[in-house]
Amino acid sequence: MQYVNDWRAVAAQTGEADRSAAEEGVRLAYRSAGLAEPERIIWADSPRAAVETVEKLTDAGRSVREEVRTRPWAEERRRMYDELGPAGWSALWSATGAQLWETTAALAERIRTGVVAELTTVPEDESDVRLVLLDAVLGQHDAAWLAAFDGRGDRLTGLARVARNAGWWWPYERAVVISERPVDLHRDEAGRLDRGDGPALAYRDGFALYAWRGMPVPAEFLDELAALTPERIRAEDNAELRRVMLEYYGYDRYLSESGAEPVHRDETGILWRIPLDGDEDVVTVEVVNSTPEPDGTCRTYWLRVPPGTRTARAGVAWTFGLDADAYAPARQT
Amino acid sequence: MYRQGDVLIMALEESEVPAQFLDAPGELRDGRGRLVLALGEVTGHAHAVQGPGRLLREAGPFGPMLLHLPEGGRVVHEEHAVIALPKGWFRVVRQREYAPGAVRIVAD
Repeated sequence: MQYVNDWRAVAAQTGEADRSAAEEGVRLAYRSAGLAEPERIIWADSPRAAVETVEKLTDAGRSVREEVRTRPWAEERRRMYDELGPAGWSALWSATGAQLWETTAALAERIRTGVVAELTTVPEDESDVRLVLLDAVLGQHDAAWLAAFDGRGDRLTGLARVARNAGWWWPYERAVVISERPVDLHRDEAGRLDRGDGPALAYRDGFALYAWRGMPVPAEFLDELAALTPERIRAEDNAELRRVMLEYYGYDRYLSESGAEPVHRDETGILWRIPLDGDEDVVTVEVVNSTPEPDGTCRTYWLRVPPGTRTARAGVAWTFGLDADAYAPARQT
Repeated sequence: MYRQGDVLIMALEESEVPAQFLDAPGELRDGRGRLVLALGEVTGHAHAVQGPGRLLREAGPFGPMLLHLPEGGRVVHEEHAVIALPKGWFRVVRQREYAPGAVRIVAD
């Protein structure tokens, strides 16, 4: 686990690239792959701008992503697998790459989706954009793999150096296009894109993604959140957006303003139900954090549970995958 | 059964532990020598165990996980009171939240 937190930070790093360090990494990666160094390295402000740059490249030669990235990784993986055995490799991966995989893979996929959406004006363009994206080396978002290999050989040093200093990059025989990192990245504790008052991910040229607790939302939607009313929430047809609205507005505020009565109450918490037209009811458990905050107050929070939940205990038990009668903590903090 | 925030720790009889985990190597420890049960991505706050023991991941990035503490141990977190655990085997479960069509992990 020694390198995981370091690579976790690399994956979430924002701000200006260290261009000379990244370019040095690119050249080293080419040399390590037995290739001549690229003649040109062209910087772009975002993955979107990089894709546009790649599309306009002339005389760059074929993609060398296979030689520069995929083959060295496969060989390193094979070497370590032979050295550690199946159980050892599996333990190494679970202690390193697996810890970062979920969040970085999800983020990279969101960026791809965003680039495709912005660069596709007619549906026929989509496959062209996707093909260019397939040629990308993900730089900082390759952190999961790089964490697994870190400290176990110097073959991937060039790739690691680029990842530590820049964003995505496109290696071709004679040219490399390389993107800056984001200037803004806002995530929740689970690592999902999350921001209520602006882009959750933004690059310096304005390429941006908006999301609330991981769920993609339109930019205009966020502007509307500040002025929400219970009537507006009830009138929203899109169930997912309505869920975001309810979370943003606050279940507690919504419950008090709509005059809701608790459905059930016991020592584990309080069960609430919000009926919605044409959609399943929102059922939440209100629970109090057992450890007081530094100011002595106890934080109350709401968790949504399945609509069929009948008691507060059943709701809290469900959040841990248990039946109501199986949930009985001897001590909680 | 013990609960620290969004993590539930349930005692298991050794006979309930799947055989392949009894002698399997555990997860590596973090830079501070702890077994990390759950980590907050943004604050870096962790539910973690200090001292001798093994943490075994059953499946998926969020567990469930098995925890073996041959001498007992203490679960610590930056924002929660310490929980002392007796010696033995435990199953560690992250709290989840319902979302129509999906289930989301809670992180505190």
